[in-house]
Amino acid sequence: MLVGADTAGVSAPRPTALRLPVWRTAVRRLAPWLLPVGLLAGWFLATDGFHLLPAHQLPSPRAVARTARDLLAGGELFRHVAASVQRVALGFLLGAGVAIVLGTWVGLSRFAERVLDPTLQAIRNVPSLAWVPFLLLWMGIDELPKVTLVAIGAFFPVYVNLVSGIRQTDRKLVELGQVFGLSELGLVRHIVLPAALPSLLTGLRIGLGQSWLFLVAAELIASTRGLGFLLIDGQNSARADIMLVGILLLAVLGKASDGALRLLERRLLAWTDGFGGVA
Amino acid sequence: MSRRRLLLLAALALVSLGTTARAAEAGPTEVRLDWATYNPSSLVLKRFGWLEEDLGKDGIKVTWLYSAGSNKANEAISSGSADLASTAGAAALLARTNGVPLKTVYVFSKPEWTALVVPKDSPLTSVAQLKGKKIAATRGTDPFFFLLRALKEAGLKQSDVEIVNLQHSDGRLALERGNVDAWAGLDPHMAAAELRSGARLLHRNIDFNTYGTLNAREDFLQKYPATVRRVLAQYSRAADWIRKHPDEAVALLAEAGKIDVDVARRQLLERTQFPDGYDFKPVSVALQTVVPILLSEKLVASDADPSKALSELFLERPSGTFLPVGSR
Amino acid sequence: MTAASAISAEHVSKRYPGGDFVLRSLSLEVAPSEIVTLLGPSGSGKSTVLRLLSGLEREHEGKLLVQGLPVQGPTPSVGMMFQEPRLLPWRTVRDNVAFGLPRTLSKELGATRVEQLLTLVQLTEARDKLPKELSGGMAQRVALARCLAGAPSVLLLDEPFSAVDALTRMHLQELLLSIWTHTRLTMLLVTHDIDEALFLSDRVAVLRGSPANIEETLVVPLPRPRDRRDEALGPLRSHLVEALRLAGNGHSHEAAEGPGGLIAGW
Repeated sequence: MLVGADTAGVSAPRPTALRLPVWRTAVRRLAPWLLPVGLLAGWFLATDGFHLLPAHQLPSPRAVARTARDLLAGGELFRHVAASVQRVALGFLLGAGVAIVLGTWVGLSRFAERVLDPTLQAIRNVPSLAWVPFLLLWMGIDELPKVTLVAIGAFFPVYVNLVSGIRQTDRKLVELGQVFGLSELGLVRHIVLPAALPSLLTGLRIGLGQSWLFLVAAELIASTRGLGFLLIDGQNSARADIMLVGILLLAVLGKASDGALRLLERRLLAWTDGFGGVA
Repeated sequence: MSRRRLLLLAALALVSLGTTARAAEAGPTEVRLDWATYNPSSLVLKRFGWLEEDLGKDGIKVTWLYSAGSNKANEAISSGSADLASTAGAAALLARTNGVPLKTVYVFSKPEWTALVVPKDSPLTSVAQLKGKKIAATRGTDPFFFLLRALKEAGLKQSDVEIVNLQHSDGRLALERGNVDAWAGLDPHMAAAELRSGARLLHRNIDFNTYGTLNAREDFLQKYPATVRRVLAQYSRAADWIRKHPDEAVALLAEAGKIDVDVARRQLLERTQFPDGYDFKPVSVALQTVVPILLSEKLVASDADPSKALSELFLERPSGTFLPVGSR
Repeated sequence: MTAASAISAEHVSKRYPGGDFVLRSLSLEVAPSEIVTLLGPSGSGKSTVLRLLSGLEREHEGKLLVQGLPVQGPTPSVGMMFQEPRLLPWRTVRDNVAFGLPRTLSKELGATRVEQLLTLVQLTEARDKLPKELSGGMAQRVALARCLAGAPSVLLLDEPFSAVDALTRMHLQELLLSIWTHTRLTMLLVTHDIDEALFLSDRVAVLRGSPANIEETLVVPLPRPRDRRDEALGPLRSHLVEALRLAGNGHSHEAAEGPGGLIAGW
């Protein structure tokens, strides 16, 4: 009957990873650090080294480190970081949540698209800082306008990518679901949403980045705490070192949160068959 | 004439031109300075064009920038967008302590422009009751320092209250909308709040106001001292005019600052004086009391030296002539 | 029309909106446990017949009956295999097969059935693999197992082996035959491969014309399992080649047929 498992076919299965020589792995591990270390060295040389820029415009790494230490010791740094992280977390969950609901609806229903999408696209083009005065006017100066602004930032990438992912679901898979007797709901649950997952995760990653951006915009005005507050406090008090502490922390936290999402993405999308870039 | 002789003549001509140039000060092509509603003299100058008239004779262009507060003015100098900018004395000290290379060259007013403001129907009657409350203030400006010193007097620290960072005009809005319990106000917004919404001044202290100072960027001052002198001469002229024409000055302030006449009147006539702009002594005395606040409230880096900055803040004036420190 | 027909098509016509008729008055009977092949050039409307029978397409003129009941939409008694495996890429092999199980089946019984099917198609070792790790032939075997998971009584197959190489194709045909031997499912197979038709079917119906109709039906009287080298296949083969050539002369560019139709048609 059947002579063993066949190996030839339409597409060959993926090859397993090769073992690389030791120095190649070392280079691979160090590669992401090249640019940051280079920038740090350049920064040091430009300030403490050759005094290319005045200290009040670009403080040296040492000055920034000292300020960071002071803020940490006083407990303020923790308070600022906690405030910002809280706002991003809440706003992102809120915005992404609403986006998933609306995006699923618009993705599935052409009628919903015709009703909702044009308005949403118009709103999408309003830049973050333009929202701030309105939100302050309508919602006061506490946490609500800040979290709302972050949610607005998170909403659009998630919404747009989800709708796109749903619409791009392979028609053949939907037909398959129909042949196997799936109801509309069953099709959505078992075929459309899983197929849209890669797009959704892309949207979430971009949305998270936007959340941080919109957070800073919100904290620049009417705040008492937060990393954006550090920026404007440094600006108001002629403390460039405080501004830099704020910027660096934003970079670190932004990268860390993106990294976490990336990890999730890798786990959830292990089944995708993309080309993955050249080695 | 031989080629070589021609070249020699040309070289001589250039050298002689150079020496003539060095004899007189090479002025800047442009002077950038700020105007603000808390600096009435700047509004007078801007309206009458006296600076343009005077400096224009030597082809120097005058560019005006708007400052929404001392914090913005300091930023303008720090970033090099302005050559001269007006701040409160305390804000100038803060900037210099933090490394901004500026020097106070003139005192443009002695105002009582800040106080703690509460809404009309506020139950608060003393500063001590502000504990745990929300107060709007613009960090890095005189109202902010006023607030800190008033709190200190009442035994409170920055961490005992919640200071919401809002620019002056937004602070007034927040007070009137009830978003904050109190506001470290600044004229004319403060006067406007009093006259329009019946806001009350919870706490006043004229000694906690640290004068209006005009500051110059150090490198600009070193390169063009004569030009700075000419600007200050016009500033004196403006102060003189205000003293002699109070009603017209009020109208001018109202129009240029886009505020109502009665607000302008309260700010200018009731709460601002124009002393000798070259007398730094009273400012220096006032700022002595600001030094400890800068350190205790951690407004400056932990290794900064506000006292040293204060000693270097003012332009030195040996007997009438006008020279930057360090050049003899 | 016999009351016992598993599949019955009577004067079925189909036209797509804005297009010409794809099928015109097509009639076909398939007896229970019979394997019938629809043979024809690409674009001849063969896939359309299957899509109508599976319930994926609804609009048509004429009568369509499966197991004596009119076709009103997809049902569990009719299984369909496509030209591509159409596996759900995010599910393992085992979960893909499980996708075909009836909703009412308990978890334990379902798991047992999945294992049995994987054994049937010889893929037990691959049960935890993802579709991206499978070869074309393996993927089609998973699709077949999935089809059988719902225990259908009729199997519709739309050029199921046209996308794999010749050797794999033969293995898959043998697998299909062995499944038929065990289950005696009624099968309606669509293909353009003459040898496949002769190896598997009881009868071969040749589709010709535009709009298409069954021009003739050839009976394959040989007992199973058939030897591909059997000389008796020769004349049957020649006959079908001739019939297909005639069919090829008259075909039009039917873009509406389905996967493979558009490119093959020009």
